[in-house]
Amino acid sequence: MTAFQSDATTRTNDDVIVELRDTSVEFGMDRGTSKVLNEVTTEVYRDEILGVIGESGSGKSMFASAMLDAVPEPGVTTGEVIYHPEEGDPISVTDLSKEELRQFRWEEVSMVFQGAMSSFNPVLPIKTHFVETLSAHDYDIRRGLTRAKELLSDLYLDPERMLNSYPHELSGGMKQRVLIALSLVLDPDLLVMDEPTAALDLLMQRSIVSLLEDIKEKHDLTIVFITHDLPLVADLADRLAVLYAFEFAELGPSERILEEPAHPYTRALLNATPNLSAPLEEMRPIAGESPDPVNIPEGCSYHPRCPLADEECETIDPGPYDAGPDHDVHCHHWEQSIEDLDIAFEETSDSGTTASAVEKASGDPLVSLSDVEVTFGSANDGWLDFGESETVTAVDGISLDIYDNDVVVLVGESGCGKTTLAKTAVGLQTPTGGTIEYRGRDIWEGASGSTLADKEIRRALQIVHQDPGASLNSHHRVRTILEQPLKRWHSDLDGNDRRERILGMLEYVGISPPQDYIDRYPHQLSGGEQQRIALIRSMLVNPDLILADEAVSALDVSLRVGMMDLMIELQDTFDTSFLFISHDLSNARYIAEKTGGRIGVMYLGELVEIGSAERIIHDPQHPYTKALRWATPELEVDQVAEESPMRSIDIPDPTNPPSGCRYHTRCPEAREVCATQTPEFVDLGDDVHAQKSACFRAYDDHEYWQSESITDEHADANVGTDTDTDSGVTSESD
Amino acid sequence: MNWKIRRFGQAIFTVWAVMTLAFFLTRMMPGNPVDAFVARVGPELDNPQEAYELAEIYMNINPQDPIHVAYVDYMASMLQGDMGMSMSQNDSVAAIMAEAIPWTLFVMSWAIFIGFAVGISIGALMAYWEGSKFDVALTGYATIITSIPFYVLALVLLITFAYRLNWFPTSGRRPEGVEAGFNIPFILGIIHHAVLPVFSMFVASGVASLTMRGNSIRVLGEDYLRVARLRGLPDRTIAVQYIARNAILPMYTGLMIAIGSMFGGAVVLEEIFTYRGMGYYMIQAVRARDYPLMMGAFTVITIAVVIALLIADLTYGKIDPRAGNEDHDAF
Ligand code: SF4
Ligand code: SF4
Repeated sequence: MTAFQSDATTRTNDDVIVELRDTSVEFGMDRGTSKVLNEVTTEVYRDEILGVIGESGSGKSMFASAMLDAVPEPGVTTGEVIYHPEEGDPISVTDLSKEELRQFRWEEVSMVFQGAMSSFNPVLPIKTHFVETLSAHDYDIRRGLTRAKELLSDLYLDPERMLNSYPHELSGGMKQRVLIALSLVLDPDLLVMDEPTAALDLLMQRSIVSLLEDIKEKHDLTIVFITHDLPLVADLADRLAVLYAFEFAELGPSERILEEPAHPYTRALLNATPNLSAPLEEMRPIAGESPDPVNIPEGCSYHPRCPLADEECETIDPGPYDAGPDHDVHCHHWEQSIEDLDIAFEETSDSGTTASAVEKASGDPLVSLSDVEVTFGSANDGWLDFGESETVTAVDGISLDIYDNDVVVLVGESGCGKTTLAKTAVGLQTPTGGTIEYRGRDIWEGASGSTLADKEIRRALQIVHQDPGASLNSHHRVRTILEQPLKRWHSDLDGNDRRERILGMLEYVGISPPQDYIDRYPHQLSGGEQQRIALIRSMLVNPDLILADEAVSALDVSLRVGMMDLMIELQDTFDTSFLFISHDLSNARYIAEKTGGRIGVMYLGELVEIGSAERIIHDPQHPYTKALRWATPELEVDQVAEESPMRSIDIPDPTNPPSGCRYHTRCPEAREVCATQTPEFVDLGDDVHAQKSACFRAYDDHEYWQSESITDEHADANVGTDTDTDSGVTSESD
Repeated sequence: MNWKIRRFGQAIFTVWAVMTLAFFLTRMMPGNPVDAFVARVGPELDNPQEAYELAEIYMNINPQDPIHVAYVDYMASMLQGDMGMSMSQNDSVAAIMAEAIPWTLFVMSWAIFIGFAVGISIGALMAYWEGSKFDVALTGYATIITSIPFYVLALVLLITFAYRLNWFPTSGRRPEGVEAGFNIPFILGIIHHAVLPVFSMFVASGVASLTMRGNSIRVLGEDYLRVARLRGLPDRTIAVQYIARNAILPMYTGLMIAIGSMFGGAVVLEEIFTYRGMGYYMIQAVRARDYPLMMGAFTVITIAVVIALLIADLTYGKIDPRAGNEDHDAF
């Protein structure tokens, strides 16, 4: 799977497929012209995979659109975009007529972008999308459909079923793969993918990325893969380009960029990217924020954030310097950067996380869930209702204790019930079965409807939402937002005290000067600042347990570590417990390992494994945890390219979960007994007895070991969602 | 499948409830129509007992029967389409309705068709030129026309075009002195008579155009449109299959609801234009205290509305694949 070995030095001009020369994209705005791509000059080589890395607002989408001259109106593309077909003369894409452009796109260069969920016309079946495309380009429909079917089955989809479905009948991961097939149906030479997996679960992202390699080989493709997620493309891309502030900071072979990056931004970005293997102390955020496209700093646009910046940087735009074969860097002091920057970061002050929460697991729990069950969908809505009941059991009999000053991170694919479970734990979701106790008291006792009866418990359990912008009332100033909880829970404070307290908190979380911020509205704050305000708001009521629902996933990579550090610090200072939800194992690991907390892995409404971060990351026992572990990419080029450890890519239909062990339809270790019996949680007997796994393999002697393997079969027919045409994703079975 | 049965059950229940209501209003109200009828007709007859039989003929209710027997009889005859005799028109209610319904449907369906067609076209143009003077002006027009009650517009049209300008007849539904049948003068005459009532319902176009404008603008920003353009689909396909279809689709239920409310509107409109449709007879019945006719018209209008909504609901799934077989409420 690692195909980066193509020798960069032997390239000739014939190998170039697309060339950008001084390409810029501008938007006229009220505040001035906004340059969202700033005189970029670069080349894409034939048959390579070029990974383009950029945070939000770095111009990466514009870079993608510019290659097809498809910048959305009223954006204007200037400069040259030259396409070199395999045979024939180069084509200047920006000079094509409307009709020529119509033919050029999709036949020569096609594009897959972010919104796969909405890339299909909801009222047309998938097949029509293929047929329309073929006939619009005068291709033979029959042959085209054969090709489409082949592409679909290469992507582990059932072609007939896909073609006859309507878009809404497919899951996000399926739509995304169908879109890839659609983009390749005219056999283009270049495929531009703009964050093609951003909206998907990690497992699905990883599965798609690992399919891309084969697709590329089979169809002689050149791929430009644009993402904010560096680890995702690290082992896929032959070359990596790093975009910062609408221009390239650095471009070079993957292993160079990952192992010896020359640009200070690349180095900082690598340090800021949460991953599974790097020591925690080496992860740190990049101070400051990305520049505004209307107001790009003079000289090197990175100078306000760069530790090496000097006068030269502030005035002279750094041209490309040659930092080795095929390795260009836009920094005046790149040599110094290589030499100094790795150690230029000061020693971390480890925030004292030694007291492992796992060890505290012996005391009385703060919140205790026992056998909690949450079912959605009403069975029957009464009179004259002949409808059959359609219910989804989002949480199915989970028991979990959370202790004082404890941290638990729940991970799992979307739809696994992690958010529902967490909301139930903080009393925001009424369970349909089981009990939730707060310090030994049932929190739903005496409650009417969906609000807790006990105000004290309501205060003790708080939530920080995923989307900070949406959770803050946009009509209120920061001051009002923060005063509300104080007034409600600390009515003894007068106006001055409240103000002092708010200012103190703002200062504490690094929003300074706080006097400036207190009168702003949420929309005048950046995403990171909004998230901080939301965090303070819940902290101000002095809660015992805070639920943070994907609290960092909306933030840019460079800000994530900072936000997580802040949460950890607050958790420590305020002596609260945290319940994090994350779909990203790297983030989960960062938080859990730093606080000595636990990671709980959920699958289809069940907790399948729980344990300390170390154990879950380095010694996962449950096959599903292993799959998640596999799906979390590392910042390395030469990762041992393993095959996917799952037998099918798509998650089964939650309304009709598989029998026995729910994972048996995808588990590479599944045996007959797994399909009929449900495994219980087993203590794996690590030193603190915190790791438990729900898999028969945890028993030394169990019927399982005598049972027949079922992994050779095709995916179980009752799964409903995905019928793999091929079980080639099977990994080694023992 | 099941939700269809459920919808059907609900529709039948509504119809049943309306008929039952009609029965109890006629029979049980203090000073109820049946007693009033007997009191009025009885003394004029040789045999006052006959008044009760007449009551049964006119209203399907024999006041001498115990209430439950009367109710069962009443429902039975209603189910057979026997809605009693009109007291003022000297004909059976069913016959009067059967004669009037086509005229009402004729006017109403044209009103709705033209209203929606114009509304959708204007809305699409407004979305296409979003933010232009044309858009602003038409938005203004649509807002104003939406806020005018249709009967006010009807009166204005009637006064201006019928009385002042004499372009259209002031009343009636068919030309006089022309032989009824499939001949051109007769058809033209009918159209001539229908123009003003149809255009009074034009207010619906205001709502439709504003909705269409909003929907189109939403669709124009959708990702699938961008992908369709990149895929190089012909403009016509994009305009019809991608924009129009997705923008018009959500208006389908609105259309059906409009049909329902138009039957209500017909009552006022037909009175204004003395257009002898269902609504006209209903008002006549109220004036003449002709209870059988009144209740008949009332029941028929209700059934029409219920059927329109039922059709909307059952067909929506066919038109929008997303609504499919789910437990879906179209409105
Ligand atoms: S040019 Fe200067 S400011 Fe820019 S990255 Fe290099 S050292 Fe930093
Ligand atoms: S119980 Fe069986 S199917 Fe489930 S995870 Fe373990 S081995 Fe796999």
